[in-house]
Amino acid sequence: MQSAPADAAAQDRDIVALLQGGVPEAAFQRTLARYQDKVYRLCCTLLRDPTAAEDAAQESLVRIWKAMGSYDGRASLSTWIYAITRNRCLTAIARRRELASLSDAAVEAEAEAQVQEVDAGGSEPQDMSATLRELVDLLPERYRRTLLLFYYEDRSVSEVASMLGMPEGTVKTSLFRARAALAEQLRRRGLDDPRDWLEAGR
Amino acid sequence: MSSDEIIASDDPRAQALDAALARALSPPALPLGFQLRLQAALARASAGPGSRAASRTHAQREQRERMAELDADYLRLRRRTLGTLIGGAFAAGAAVAVVLPWLQASFGANAIYVLASAGALLGIGIGTASWIGRVRIPNPFERF
Repeated sequence: MQSAPADAAAQDRDIVALLQGGVPEAAFQRTLARYQDKVYRLCCTLLRDPTAAEDAAQESLVRIWKAMGSYDGRASLSTWIYAITRNRCLTAIARRRELASLSDAAVEAEAEAQVQEVDAGGSEPQDMSATLRELVDLLPERYRRTLLLFYYEDRSVSEVASMLGMPEGTVKTSLFRARAALAEQLRRRGLDDPRDWLEAGR
Repeated sequence: MSSDEIIASDDPRAQALDAALARALSPPALPLGFQLRLQAALARASAGPGSRAASRTHAQREQRERMAELDADYLRLRRRTLGTLIGGAFAAGAAVAVVLPWLQASFGANAIYVLASAGALLGIGIGTASWIGRVRIPNPFERF
């Protein structure tokens, strides 16, 4: 029985073989089946907005489709796909910043509302999963992204490294620090007992 | 690589946190209609810049042909109007030449006024008919 990473690598090899065999349509259909969920998750994680994530995911997939014929195999297929997706997300973020800079008052009001929302949430009892998600959202961006993708992608460090375009060692370090920060935040909230943590999602 | 490589297996706190996070952080599902919108976006993209350029060329050619037709129609209309005016003037002159002796026999010195009045009435009639047609006033004589 093949392991999941070996299976994934075999699927990528099939796609590349189809491309080299001159059937980009079939290659793209297989790419969609294998990567569209992952592309959308990466967009969600980077953009923090489902609507913007859907737009970016669709733009990324269209770009992938257009560029499929020019894929030369120098980078692995997943690295190539994630690089295109990251670039689309970075463009979307830059565009959003430009728009935000045009309306500072609106941004301040939104930030104020978010702070109030967090404050209000902190005073009310809520389930452990919600608390964890809230704490994850408050983590520094690089830790938050790494942690989310790690759990979205079935705890695969190599996949997260490929998605974020960083070395696996950096991903491991980020995960370690993210967990440490989360444990500290939980302790500050009086949730220091691991049995409480296991209540998450129940 | 499994999370066991990240988390020390003998640390129950880390394992508990890992399990809690795995439960709390579920991956977002693709939105409803994502596939349809993606297929539409791919279809639009497949139209491509080459196809758009071809459409533009086709539209420009159609516009040129339509403008040429309009020019030809305009020229034809002007020629027809000019022809009508010249023909009408000749017809009027011929009519006057035919009718004038009879009018002089009937009205004597007043024949010229009668002729002028008849011409004026004819002109007013043609003008009125044209005006009725332009402002789309229902023509009471249409049914006859």
